[in-house]
Amino acid sequence: MNDMQWAPIGPSEPVPPPLPPSRVDFTGNRSEFRKMVTKGAMLELVTFGFYRFWLVTDIRRHLWSNTSIDGDAAEYTGRGKELLVGFLFALAILVPIYLAYFLVGIEFERWQGFASTPLFISFYAFGQFAIFRARRYRLTRTVWRGVRFWMDGSGWAYSFRAMLWGALVFLTLGLALPWREASLERYKMRHTHFGDLQGSFEGRGWEFFKSAWWLWLLSPIAIVIFPLAPFLYAEFKAREWRWWLDGIRIGGVGLSSDLPHDAFYGLYWKVVGWWCLLSVLFGLYAAGAGGLVAAAGGAPVGPDAIARSIPLLTMLVIGYLALALALNVVMRMYLQHDMWLKALETLQVHDIGAAADVRAGGELASALGEGFADGLDVAGF
Amino acid sequence: MNDVTADPGAETKPERQAIFFDGLSSRRRQVMLSLGDALEIAEPSDAQAGGAVTRWAFDEIRRADSPAGILRLTSTSAPPLARLEIRDAACAADIIAHCPRLDEHQTNGRAVAKIVGWSLAAAVSIVCVVLFGVPLAADRLAPLVPKPIERRIGDASEVQVKTFFRGAACSDPAGQAAFSKLVNRLRDAAGLDDDSMTSGVLRTSVPNAFALPGGKVYVLSGLIDKAESPDELAGILAHELGHLKHHDNMRGLIYNGGTSFLIGLLFGDVTGSSAVIFASRSVVEASYSREAETNADTFAIEIMHKLGRSPKPAAELMFRITGKEGGSGFTILASHPLTEDRLARMTREDHPASGPPLLTDKEWQALKGICGSGKI
Repeated sequence: MNDMQWAPIGPSEPVPPPLPPSRVDFTGNRSEFRKMVTKGAMLELVTFGFYRFWLVTDIRRHLWSNTSIDGDAAEYTGRGKELLVGFLFALAILVPIYLAYFLVGIEFERWQGFASTPLFISFYAFGQFAIFRARRYRLTRTVWRGVRFWMDGSGWAYSFRAMLWGALVFLTLGLALPWREASLERYKMRHTHFGDLQGSFEGRGWEFFKSAWWLWLLSPIAIVIFPLAPFLYAEFKAREWRWWLDGIRIGGVGLSSDLPHDAFYGLYWKVVGWWCLLSVLFGLYAAGAGGLVAAAGGAPVGPDAIARSIPLLTMLVIGYLALALALNVVMRMYLQHDMWLKALETLQVHDIGAAADVRAGGELASALGEGFADGLDVAGF
Repeated sequence: MNDVTADPGAETKPERQAIFFDGLSSRRRQVMLSLGDALEIAEPSDAQAGGAVTRWAFDEIRRADSPAGILRLTSTSAPPLARLEIRDAACAADIIAHCPRLDEHQTNGRAVAKIVGWSLAAAVSIVCVVLFGVPLAADRLAPLVPKPIERRIGDASEVQVKTFFRGAACSDPAGQAAFSKLVNRLRDAAGLDDDSMTSGVLRTSVPNAFALPGGKVYVLSGLIDKAESPDELAGILAHELGHLKHHDNMRGLIYNGGTSFLIGLLFGDVTGSSAVIFASRSVVEASYSREAETNADTFAIEIMHKLGRSPKPAAELMFRITGKEGGSGFTILASHPLTEDRLARMTREDHPASGPPLLTDKEWQALKGICGSGKI
């Protein structure tokens, strides 16, 4: 794909007076989104989770198509079936890898006890590869003004970088994190394209470090004084988002963000509040179920204890699944929908004129990466 | 694309404004629409100059995602990303009325029902495979696993066990001789080959015994300290020989690998790290393990009867170690049958001794001292 690199053609035109930056509007209806994720959670329950592919697709379709830049709304063209197929392919590839992992592990263990533990790192590498490829899938399904985004670059090259930087972050106890994010983001954005425009990332690790280093110092305190933790995390996330959005460039188009440092406080506290409320409800339900079973004379004691604990266990499993799905709805409402909104509210797009006549290009990527990410349980932008 | 040359003025149709993206560039084109026998999309500047008009047949027009208040259309015969946006509600309604297959590709109620149906079918089939297929496969495949492979796996777990218990094997000669005599009598009664197993005693206060893949049986010295007669220890050794005879290690390995993969498939997490998967795996595997333990108990009862001894003392030893287990938390997660149930079963199988004692008093004392005299 390297022959698709963007280069300005002809002499540069005289510079026109700078236009005011254009805004990004979100026109979605919050209660519509809530109905969608609630219904999706119910369907996830009855389909043993298989519905997740369609729900994730619906969420993205809603968020994308209600986001309009310079008056034109974006569109997400991915479909749930693609994710399902990608997941099944990923499984077919992961199974032999797991078997090989098992066999190599045995040889290591024969040599020395617990020597196979470092092998687990190979799965981390695979997870980074999956993150890169999943991003590629999502981008190639993102369309604006009839032109799609696309990506080149190598998932393994990205994974290699992520591993080296990960080791450095580990050795510096997290201090190298800003530089890791800057470097990885540069790699991802350099290989991101919109039609024939090439992306880049101008954020510097040092800037992010300057804005968030004191959070690193405070983090040990948050472990001791628990109520501080959501504040610190929300603060960190807001600073990270702002720095990230500020650095994004596509061709001549640039983003800037005025996201306030306390933008996410409310969101994280709402999630914590819901989490507490739902946990209390689950506790009451569990106690009630236990009492009911005991009253019916089915307490798990005596010779057939194992068989007699089944009714209670079934009730607890149902309660737990309901709790997990309710939490899912809460997280999707606050940490996906509302966070998306908060970030868009303060976002400005500069020189959008550079994207007024972009030639379409790029190939669709398969959903295999999303499948790997699903199979390995990793997530990332 | 159905590009035809326009014939302006041949027919007067009401014209409406729209925005058109041709899918080849991001240029925003103001176009005029006219509804004839197809949807005609004309760029005014082009039309005046006699330029091209794009025609979309009505039955090829599909709806694309859009914000509320905007109708966004695409056509199956146009470039895949060509989009037509109509912002005027009356015009949009008019076009919708003309397009018979506008929403044919959308996920409607029926498509959702199909997803639910297929998911249930997949879930039922996975559950059936977990309940019937994997145990069958494990039973059939375990005896077929080549001995060298089984031994390699055993070597690996032996290294782990020895690291865990700091590797001190007990080797008092007289005790070793008594231990070998006991193991050999049991092995002959069990019908296992000479070279099919090795056994040893490890020095630790944990009272337990286990069989590793590749025929390695280990007794921990804590168990010998707690045992009060050769029959108590013999019953437990016979139980471990039962595991060897039934290939329980390899069966468990195949079974656990298969179920954790399948349950992961169901919930979409191959690594099995999430709570639901962990819980359901634990329940399923515990039930499989309890069955294997019950079978090993059956085997131990047979061996002890064959040697003319009672299996009951072994269960009494277990009961002394674990105490009563029922009523303490979730017994459905227990990997063994409850000790009181095992004791009840072995008591039913209690016959008066008809064979000679397995070890003489002197040999028994030597075995008790296999790890040296003092306590650990």
